[in-house]
Amino acid sequence: MSSKRRIRVVVAKPGLDSHDRGAKIVARALRDAGMEIIYTGLRQTPEQIVETALQEDVDVIALSILSGAHLALFPRIMDLVKQKELDNILVFAGGIIPKEDIPSLKKIGIAQVFGPGTRTQTLVKFILENVQKRK
Amino acid sequence: MEEKAMEYINKIDDMGGVIPAIENGFLQKEIADSAYKYQKELENKERILVGVNEYTVEEDWVPLKLLRISPDIETEQLAGLQKMKKERNNLKVKKVLEKLHDAADRDANLMPTIIEAVKAYATLGEIVNVLRNVFGEYQELIVI
Repeated sequence: MSSKRRIRVVVAKPGLDSHDRGAKIVARALRDAGMEIIYTGLRQTPEQIVETALQEDVDVIALSILSGAHLALFPRIMDLVKQKELDNILVFAGGIIPKEDIPSLKKIGIAQVFGPGTRTQTLVKFILENVQKRK
Repeated sequence: MEEKAMEYINKIDDMGGVIPAIENGFLQKEIADSAYKYQKELENKERILVGVNEYTVEEDWVPLKLLRISPDIETEQLAGLQKMKKERNNLKVKKVLEKLHDAADRDANLMPTIIEAVKAYATLGEIVNVLRNVFGEYQELIVI
């Protein structure tokens, strides 16, 4: 038996859009890659997402948003992440996010933003390379 | 194919129809399964989609002129809402919302009371919250 802890990921849908096809595909692909997945379901508030991350002791938060509200919701999520001292969690996002918004999202601590057409293996590789190693 | 379709329909019928099949997550799982399969086929090139995974061109990114809504509009709207709430007949609003609550409780036709509430300047939020209190909210069955 390996004592290595599996990478735990919360896949979350902040805001009001119901487009969960992508989030569910990502959740499955990460699960098939051996990670443990917690999927929040639709219409989550920043508070709910960060609370789930805290309760589930995750290593990664994967945000999926297609409503255009990322500039309103992501800063609130990142504020809460910092407040709860979860800064070691890797946070990345996907969905419909205009290119020109990406720099400001990176500035607040979103590690990467993926758009449509991203291969699921790209996400797996990204997580493996960037997740903080736990002792 | 006809047989396969019938088999599928019978499977859903055996669950008690489409509504139970949604409530037990069967349909959500079928959709998610098919979406994941499709994605994997694209990535493995078992399925070719011109311009997506074959015969693609280097992306030529043109910045779009996006419609950005100024946060000032939100502030203005909120101020207008507060003003309206101050100036309307709040007793009337309270009464019609109680009437709506009662109608929802009795499973009566809600539309006449909703129209009455709108005419009394009840907000959409106030109306929906009454109904939410009576009927509850949609609870998503988490299926991945």
